[in-house]
Amino acid sequence: MYLMSKIKQVLLVLKPGVVTLKYPFEPHPVAKDFRGQPSWDHHKCVGCGGCAAHCPARTILIRDVCQDLRVMYYDGSRCTYCGRCADVCPEDAITMTEQYELATNDKNDIGVNMELFMLTCQRCGRCFNMETTNMIDKMGLRGFKYDNLETRAVISKLTTEQFDPKMLEESDRFKRPQK
Amino acid sequence: MLTIDDVKKQLKDKYQAAVKNFEAPYSTRLFVDIDKSKVREISNEIIKMGGRYLVSVGYDNIARDKTLGLIHNFSLDRDDLFVCIRTSAPVDNPEFDSITPDIPNAGWSEREYMDLLGMKFKGHPKPKRLILADDWPEGVYPLRKEVPYNLMPPAAENVAYQLDEAPEGCTTIPVGPFHPTLHEPAHFAVFVDGETIKGCDYRGFMVHRGLEKLCQTQVTYNEIPFIAERICGICGSVHATSYSQALELAAGLKISRRAEYIRTIMLEIERIHSHLLWLGIAGHLIGFDTVFMQAWRVREAIMWYGEKLTGNRKTYGMIVAGGVRRDITPELGDELLGILKTIEKELITIHKAIVGDGSIHRRTKGVGCITKQETELWSLVGPVARARGVDIDVRRDHPYAAYDEMQFDVPVVDSCDVWGTVVVRILETFEAIKIIRQALDKMPAGPIMTEFAEDVKPLQHAIAAVEAPRGEVVHYLITGEENRPERWRVRAPTYPNLQGVPAMLLNDQFADLPIIIGSIDPCFSCTDRVVKVDIRTGEKSRLTKMDLEKISRAKKFAGR
Repeated sequence: MYLMSKIKQVLLVLKPGVVTLKYPFEPHPVAKDFRGQPSWDHHKCVGCGGCAAHCPARTILIRDVCQDLRVMYYDGSRCTYCGRCADVCPEDAITMTEQYELATNDKNDIGVNMELFMLTCQRCGRCFNMETTNMIDKMGLRGFKYDNLETRAVISKLTTEQFDPKMLEESDRFKRPQK
Repeated sequence: MLTIDDVKKQLKDKYQAAVKNFEAPYSTRLFVDIDKSKVREISNEIIKMGGRYLVSVGYDNIARDKTLGLIHNFSLDRDDLFVCIRTSAPVDNPEFDSITPDIPNAGWSEREYMDLLGMKFKGHPKPKRLILADDWPEGVYPLRKEVPYNLMPPAAENVAYQLDEAPEGCTTIPVGPFHPTLHEPAHFAVFVDGETIKGCDYRGFMVHRGLEKLCQTQVTYNEIPFIAERICGICGSVHATSYSQALELAAGLKISRRAEYIRTIMLEIERIHSHLLWLGIAGHLIGFDTVFMQAWRVREAIMWYGEKLTGNRKTYGMIVAGGVRRDITPELGDELLGILKTIEKELITIHKAIVGDGSIHRRTKGVGCITKQETELWSLVGPVARARGVDIDVRRDHPYAAYDEMQFDVPVVDSCDVWGTVVVRILETFEAIKIIRQALDKMPAGPIMTEFAEDVKPLQHAIAAVEAPRGEVVHYLITGEENRPERWRVRAPTYPNLQGVPAMLLNDQFADLPIIIGSIDPCFSCTDRVVKVDIRTGEKSRLTKMDLEKISRAKKFAGR
């Protein structure tokens, strides 16, 4: 019985042979719908902020530096690659690429910084028409956001319907809690 | 068979005024509001009806009526019914009767709320710190609403957890803080007499991440499935499913049948890979690396399939509240059937090769024994319980997703040892393959997502359980305002199982410690909430550790 099972084990090991991949010396292609590093198409992006509002890791930050200029920063160092941003993007500006070899010694290498020039309504000053029920509106966006890019902190309390320079200053004073 | 009405009647007849209110939003959930003086008696009454203790939930209700709420949850497995008994105490004197003396498994839950909410439990046998770090200041209760989620109190020096003293004549062997089984932090102080284990004390919760607090204060309902999935690195989908089901119950949303089928398939894929992973680890722990290599080789096929189907190797991100994110196309379904065929064939080969191997038998048979009665007393779950003859399985007892239409067996053995858990897990893998085949066969067409028609009403209670590979996952949800939960309580299967480990270790050899702890398939990060103890009964020793060591050496050299 003991010997039989040892013989079976030898066969079990011999039959498949060596299955170890040669990676990284040979490339290892991924499946078609793989969720790798997200990439932003700045031509398509309308700056709605839907991705920032839906990111479970809070890794996409939005900072309105004036009424017409919105800075969007994607902090890849904390990204969980869930692909939620690509799902919710109304313009399909975000795609999950096949790129997964992202090890780096500088985390800015895997960040994306976009400066978006926003069209605003001259009358109300908001970035979009908030009254109609469009995709953007459905995302529950309130208007302007003032996240702190330096500390990479989403400041959820600071959202306004009118651009407010005071809020921007307040965001600058944000400090992470320390021991 | 007990129905909701029977339970109501029995409680009402016996406790009259102490039972204040019943609420039964669905035919399988009963919420009972009771007076806090009768907590212990009513808990025992439900155990007598055939109830099994699941978990307790404590929550902060100070803003509404200046009370702290406590909910003990029980499952009546034969009657497909969850009974949740709710009570509360004023915040200036939050004292409850402890139910731990009768239901030892409640020990951790109660200690958790001593730490996190500042509750007091009268008659608790071991009111020590469980979750919080040793240098966390007294009187700051992080789960209370007034405490911000990102509070970082200053670190203190010269504080250490006081482990239990070893029983007389025993030596303490520290195991940890890195775990001998899985590479996760947990500390066991094992008390040995020679080579024989006489008890142990556990200090864990070193990776307590405060997920519940985070989700109650920062994120929204839609984001929690992704965070829930990261509670466990091996069985993430079960947490996402359990949370989503709780939310759907609270919101009264019925998701599409196709989404339920896809959830079922995802859960079973996860079971296959988790059981193969465990089989490998168990082999590795007893020094049988052939099993380790081969089981993991077989497992790789299903991992790659998961990557193809969901876009990621693990943490699939597949299950969200309201349905699933990706559909299983006919081509992907065919591919899955092919992979299952290979896995089944290979697993039979592995099974045949190891089943007669004497070394495995000698390392696992008669090791980690506890009786069926002890298993039930400690409310152990999953393969650990099924290897001890306790016939429970949430998939069959409280059907969810598409399990009501699946035909499958629940393997139960009564060898009561580690070998039993090996057998149960191998058989369950075959059952999982069977379930996926049926699900792919019967899967109806339809949408994969169902939108929430309206906002979720605040203060709805819901409980959902899912059978994870390791046992049963329980999520309790109280909905709140601002599109996020008021309270979300997660109970991972390791939480009850780890509490039963001291009983399993008792009188075993020290060399068997890794495989015994390994046999529950522990997942410290999902549990992270901790401690327990079980010591040989006897007089309390007041000797110091040094004295004990001296004595044990003296004994040894005396030619015992």
